[in-house]
Amino acid sequence: MLKVTIKLNMNELPYLPPKKVIAAAEKGLLELNRYANPADLELLRELLAEYSGVNKENIILGPGSDLLLREIVQIFSKKRKIVMPSPSFLPTVRSAKQFANKLVSIRLSPPDFKLHHEILIDEVKEPTLLIIDNPNNPTGKVLLDRKTVESIVKDEDVLLVIDEAYYEFSGITFADMVKDYPNLAITRSMDKAFSLAGARIGYIIVGNTFLKEFSSFYTYLPQSSLYAASEALKNPTYMRKNIEKIIKERERVLRKLCELKVKVYRTSTNFLLIKTEIPDITGMFRDIGILILDLSNQISPGFIRVTIGKPEENDMFLKEYMNFSDLFKQNYEK
Amino acid sequence: MKKRIGLIVNPVAGMGGSVGLKGTDGEMFKKSLELGANPVTPARTKNFLTHIKNKQEIIMYTAPGKMGEEYVKSFDIQLETIGAIDEETTAEDSKKIAREMLNDGVKLLIFVGGDGTARDIYDAVDSKIPVIAVPSGVKVFSSVFAVSARAAAELVDAFIEGTDFTEEEVLDIDESAFREGKLASRLYGYLLVPNVRKFLQAGKEASSTSSSSIENKKEVAQYIVESMDHDILYLLGPGTTVKAVTDELKLHKTLLGIDAIFDGELVGTDLNERGILELFKKYKKKRIIVTPLGGNGFIFGRGNKQFTPEVIKKTGKENITVIGTKDKLNSLDCLRADTDNFKVDKLLFGYIKVIIGYKEEMLMEVQC
Repeated sequence: MLKVTIKLNMNELPYLPPKKVIAAAEKGLLELNRYANPADLELLRELLAEYSGVNKENIILGPGSDLLLREIVQIFSKKRKIVMPSPSFLPTVRSAKQFANKLVSIRLSPPDFKLHHEILIDEVKEPTLLIIDNPNNPTGKVLLDRKTVESIVKDEDVLLVIDEAYYEFSGITFADMVKDYPNLAITRSMDKAFSLAGARIGYIIVGNTFLKEFSSFYTYLPQSSLYAASEALKNPTYMRKNIEKIIKERERVLRKLCELKVKVYRTSTNFLLIKTEIPDITGMFRDIGILILDLSNQISPGFIRVTIGKPEENDMFLKEYMNFSDLFKQNYEK
Repeated sequence: MKKRIGLIVNPVAGMGGSVGLKGTDGEMFKKSLELGANPVTPARTKNFLTHIKNKQEIIMYTAPGKMGEEYVKSFDIQLETIGAIDEETTAEDSKKIAREMLNDGVKLLIFVGGDGTARDIYDAVDSKIPVIAVPSGVKVFSSVFAVSARAAAELVDAFIEGTDFTEEEVLDIDESAFREGKLASRLYGYLLVPNVRKFLQAGKEASSTSSSSIENKKEVAQYIVESMDHDILYLLGPGTTVKAVTDELKLHKTLLGIDAIFDGELVGTDLNERGILELFKKYKKKRIIVTPLGGNGFIFGRGNKQFTPEVIKKTGKENITVIGTKDKLNSLDCLRADTDNFKVDKLLFGYIKVIIGYKEEMLMEVQC
């Protein structure tokens, strides 16, 4: 069994949550024989509503935003076609493929991976469930602006779901528009920014059209996760400092890669998108215990996604990348 | 029982790359030597052989010396040498040895080289046995190739452990045009390769969303056939994805040519421009179904020149259906058109819908 030393493939934060959050999770373990306390579920909804600047009634909780997105697809795709950019967050693509009446993808192409708004508007002229991750995963690009969102949601036959899993890194949100547009929903996660991937807390900020369908939706979450998430939201300063650190580090790694003449794309997330000429680089990294994500099936061969880790982890990645690059040049450019 | 597998290495493939020659076909090999190029295939071949896990399950039939034998003998693989070669090897050697291997009952043929080598192997074995193509040439555009030497080794293991097969494209790239910066290619034929998706690391985002290539083609074909109208003339371009449509209709397709269907019946086979225009006089409504060429994404102008600017203009962009497998589409940044008529190319530019599965479409840009 391979010993994994550096994990840069799943966009987790490399930092543990603060001690108080860990202590809260531990407290939850002492209630492991019980289902979650409904009052604690309500408290978490209140805290998330406050954090997102919306009403508590508009918050739906679930075990990870990927599962909430799956639920949305299942409920709302029966009489609508689904439109998504390609590439998109893979679990959602899989759900769409499984449940959609008809699935239309709009290809984002290098170098800018832009979502052409006129094409998008043109495609949603019939009842549609439109799902857009913003910023997009795996390109890291911001795809939407307020004007485009407004022009989409003014047609009530179109349901727009914006996946803001990386909102804390991009600083861009459309959550405030939910009160005005019943056909808008925003999915978010505490997995990434709050260092709580293991707690699996996802939530949707829903407009009324979605709320009606979700009225009977109720999910028990682990008590440890509830305690940890609530504690993290009581003091988000720690999270914000981590985000600053990651963004600073992302820009350092980006600069370094540019200096090394590696084709790297600027992102608004906690990962970088790279186009490499080195064949099977993901396998080579895996062999030395560094995990990165191969995107050849999602974008095109040569594309990889690398999560920003701790500075020493990123340095290790950069060093090994250059080793592989030298090896490649020796073999092919003698 | 051990499997008989053949290995042919093109020792000069890839040498032109470092000296900017874009290929080693014909006289260009001598030129690459004059310019100081070094062989690149030894490292590639060794890398490939290193990563085969089931070495004990193989009897490897190889060409002599630098065409295979000298690399295999340093590995713990049972070895049989076939044929004879001179100091200077040619395309004829690859073809001759491939035929000998076929006669000796080899069940899988591995070759290390580029697009030129793939064409030689196609000439020799066609679809009689499956192949695994290890990329080592300057131009590796044909989709028959594995993504890397390591991936090719994984395909060998999959073959030994049991897998089905799929047809992949062999392209004919015009080297002299390529040297002038033009990508002029045409579909040369199809080789049979193990039908295995690319190996990816584990993790929630790692697995491919696509079904196998054969299933994917069937899904596309079913969707097309279900949506076919009885009063439309369908012109079907070359390629195995389009052939899946005629398979679904239980009709015969000219693999590299253009056929016409009306109301579930073949009304024209292997048509040229004249034949197509004749049909247009008889049938008012028409629709062209094409698949992009792997590697470069041409929907018109490469391998289907029978769809002339006149034919395309008379059909109209709104009556063109592009179909393709997800794997092929994912390997392309955009679609292309080069009809020798800029006005017609311009007509095709912009987004076009591509059918990529059952009730699954992708909007993709035609540019370049």
